Amino acid sequence: MSEQKRTFVCHVDDLPPGTMKFLPVGKQGIGVYNVKGDFYALSNYCPHRGAPLCLGPVSGEVRPGDEPYELTWERDQEIVRCPWHGWEFEIATGNALALKNHKARSWPVTVEDGSVYVEGV
Amino acid sequence: MWKVYDPMSVTVGNESVRTETVLGSIDTAVHPTFTSDAELRQYLPRAYRDRPFPNSLRYLYSPPTGVAPYGSYSAEARQAAGTPGSDPELAAEHLAAYGSDEAILLPLARGVLPNLDLGTEICKAINTWLAERWLSAATEVRYHGSIRLNPLDVEGSITELERWAGDDRMVQVSVPLEAHLPYGHRVYHRLWEAVAASGLPVAVRNDGYSGASFHPTPSGFPRHYAEFAALQQNNYIYHLTSLVAEGVFERLPALRWVFTDGGFDVMLPLMWRMDMDWPITRVETPWVPHLPSEYLRRHVRFVTSPFEGPPDDIVDEWSGIWDAGSLLMYGSAYPMWMSTGARDILPAALAEVRDRVLRGTAEEFFALRPRS
Repeated sequence: MSEQKRTFVCHVDDLPPGTMKFLPVGKQGIGVYNVKGDFYALSNYCPHRGAPLCLGPVSGEVRPGDEPYELTWERDQEIVRCPWHGWEFEIATGNALALKNHKARSWPVTVEDGSVYVEGV
Repeated sequence: MWKVYDPMSVTVGNESVRTETVLGSIDTAVHPTFTSDAELRQYLPRAYRDRPFPNSLRYLYSPPTGVAPYGSYSAEARQAAGTPGSDPELAAEHLAAYGSDEAILLPLARGVLPNLDLGTEICKAINTWLAERWLSAATEVRYHGSIRLNPLDVEGSITELERWAGDDRMVQVSVPLEAHLPYGHRVYHRLWEAVAASGLPVAVRNDGYSGASFHPTPSGFPRHYAEFAALQQNNYIYHLTSLVAEGVFERLPALRWVFTDGGFDVMLPLMWRMDMDWPITRVETPWVPHLPSEYLRRHVRFVTSPFEGPPDDIVDEWSGIWDAGSLLMYGSAYPMWMSTGARDILPAALAEVRDRVLRGTAEEFFALRPRS
């Protein structure tokens, strides 16, 4: 195997928790996210209707509480919400919250010597 | 998701799989009537017996067909004396001729009445009358009953449901289509909890638009019977979407519903519409983890009457897409003017689908035991 392709994103200090850096690579571009210190990369392409997913807000998940009709807010900063139709995706995996068989494409992210890289592009 | 029906997967060797046989069908919607208003009043407590309340025959939107003066009844149900459909033996003869050997009786009540105590007393009187006059009769067709409940009176309805606990002649409870809040609302929750615990399904039936009803269409009053008949029944869809969105089926996994006013043909596009918005609206209703249409098979059934149905040449494709073999049950609506015999239901469908519609689905859904 030849060495995997990788793309430099930024210095780790320039991508604090809760933020995203946009990487203009490939057809759609890639959003690189810092979720509470862990780094993830998602395609800027929503599998629903092809919207620029990474322009959507970083969000949390509304969950049902223990009581009927109770709403709770969980997993703050772990979800991205598509700007067009509001589909929600787990940043760590790209999995859609509402429909289990839909997924945004994702890439592994590494940090080396204070630099953030997306692997495979 | 929906089972996509593949007609090629079924071997159609000859026409014998498309059967003419309708004997032994279960009629899931028969509407027995009182011989006269006086018969119902005998069953009311004395203090309520002389109260005025509406007849079950609507004076607005009367059908311009059927037996005069209101046109609601089929001419074949006409009797020498008394209201059409008020004689258990005669009704059984007609239902047997329709091809049924079992029938579920769902008497019309008077819709939702402003005086909810009166409404509950009328439901109780109807239930007692049904058990005494119809369910105890020795008839050619085996009758099953419905417990009429007043949705405005949750506590009274729970008490009435308890009165029939253990009486296995009653196979469902029934509430009017003309509710004042869609049936998923939390005001009903205790009632559905009690019904789910009883194991009985809930049948929704248009109560003849006779009580304190809202506009028959969400946009107001149409001018003609034709518009009323075509559209008012579709109000069931608001109850169905409400039950799904409020998470009632998630909180009460044993709760089952049957919609008995037809409208099956418009149901699926409306559910598709709700499915489409589903991933977007999830944040509003996170207690509903499945697509709306996925609740149908487990919780909901529909009765054929009145039934538009597909043209014969696309019946296989239609019954696959509509999941007719799982969701649809035959009901004649006897003695109403649009009463339909089993032989007129999906005559061109494959026997396996038709048998489900005419008998199999109902047998499972109502847990009917073989006739002893």
